[in-house]
Amino acid sequence: MTDPTFRTGFDAALETAINTALQYDPATRARLQKLDGKVLELDLTSPKMTFCLGVEGERVCLYRHWEGQISTRLSGSAVALVRLLRDSSATPAGVGVGVNGSSALLAELQAIMRDLDIDWEAPLAQLVGDVPAHAVGEALRTLSSWLRDGFSRAPAAAAEAVSEEWRLTPPQAQFEAFAEDLRALSLATERLEARVNLLKEKFSQRGAE
Amino acid sequence: MKEGKTTHFGYQQVPVEEKAGRVAEVFHSVAARYDVMNDLMSGGIHRLWKRFTIELSGARPGQTILDIAGGTGDLTARFSRIVGPEGTVLLADINESMLKVGRDRLLDRGIAGNVFPVQADAQYLPFPDDTFDCVTIAFGLRNVTDKDLALRSMLRTLKPGGRLLVLEFSKPQSKLLEKVYDQYSFRLLPVMGKLVANDADSYRYLAESIRMHPDQETLKQMMEDAGFVDCEYHNMTGGIVALHKGIKP
Repeated sequence: MTDPTFRTGFDAALETAINTALQYDPATRARLQKLDGKVLELDLTSPKMTFCLGVEGERVCLYRHWEGQISTRLSGSAVALVRLLRDSSATPAGVGVGVNGSSALLAELQAIMRDLDIDWEAPLAQLVGDVPAHAVGEALRTLSSWLRDGFSRAPAAAAEAVSEEWRLTPPQAQFEAFAEDLRALSLATERLEARVNLLKEKFSQRGAE
Repeated sequence: MKEGKTTHFGYQQVPVEEKAGRVAEVFHSVAARYDVMNDLMSGGIHRLWKRFTIELSGARPGQTILDIAGGTGDLTARFSRIVGPEGTVLLADINESMLKVGRDRLLDRGIAGNVFPVQADAQYLPFPDDTFDCVTIAFGLRNVTDKDLALRSMLRTLKPGGRLLVLEFSKPQSKLLEKVYDQYSFRLLPVMGKLVANDADSYRYLAESIRMHPDQETLKQMMEDAGFVDCEYHNMTGGIVALHKGIKP
């Protein structure tokens, strides 16, 4: 068994990070208040870890041990759980997450996570002032948008470079034409084979007569 | 003439009736700087040990909790939030100075209404039988003169099914860690005590009292002998600290 100090330290750090971030999103804090006293158990399959996430007023608390009532229990991989909470179109069955207990809490958390809007500029503005903080914020937003755009186009661009620029694979149109020709040849061969078989049968019948 | 019984005070043997007074002197001396020194001595890890204690307490809204040797009120503050307005937390300490610091600190943080400070001796708890859902004693048991008597007193005041949590320094589980810890305790700790609290002797006593405290298995046996059941302990930070848990049958 691992030393409880490490796990407790991890929980404390994560809890502090979550609540510090929530300080800059008053709307989410107000919505969390409606969930006061509710506890969600997350049973992660990879990495293997279980913890309970409770709401105390406007704060989120993480517990390693929770002996009270659990409103909802989710089990699945960390990636699947994050996808379920962040992606509004994701369903538990679709992403491979098991749900026990009230699904209302899950739906409420999904809505909260979808509308999460943390004002990262606010803590920065407290340190360096409003104008520099806004300039840094703008730069980060532009960079984030550029990266998101780049990542979404990356697979198509990579495929194009491999086939068109480096000629490592045939271009898609050429490959599709080749595949179509191959299919036609395969069909023609099958038809020819059928005719040959038919002729063979006819010759063998005449020979017998 | 009656033969005088003695007990340990750090590495010294003192008459039993003197120990409480001498421990009181130590804590009168360190009370004002207790928080700063705790953070400094443990590198802030004492907060994690206490957090784990809170989790294992299973405290719930509406419960009645006794925090013995509550010192500056770290556990009490958290319990106060958990039990809510319907619950009660008693912050008990034998030492008036520590209790005053704890009470003032809680009030400064806006924690009031369900918290009541009580000056009480852990050996003779001034509460009726079957009163508390949970009793905690964090870094206090080693300073108690008669630990068995204190454990029996805690058992008496717990409700059936209630739990006792003892958070206390214990025996490191690795020889290497023990050596490093000894060097730290007997060389660095008194120097830090001198620099920060201008009181090397008190911090030397703290280090000595930790060595004189029963190890994990012995304390577990003492809890079972007192009448607790389902006793178990969790070593933390390599056994430097252990959290013992026992249930009143």
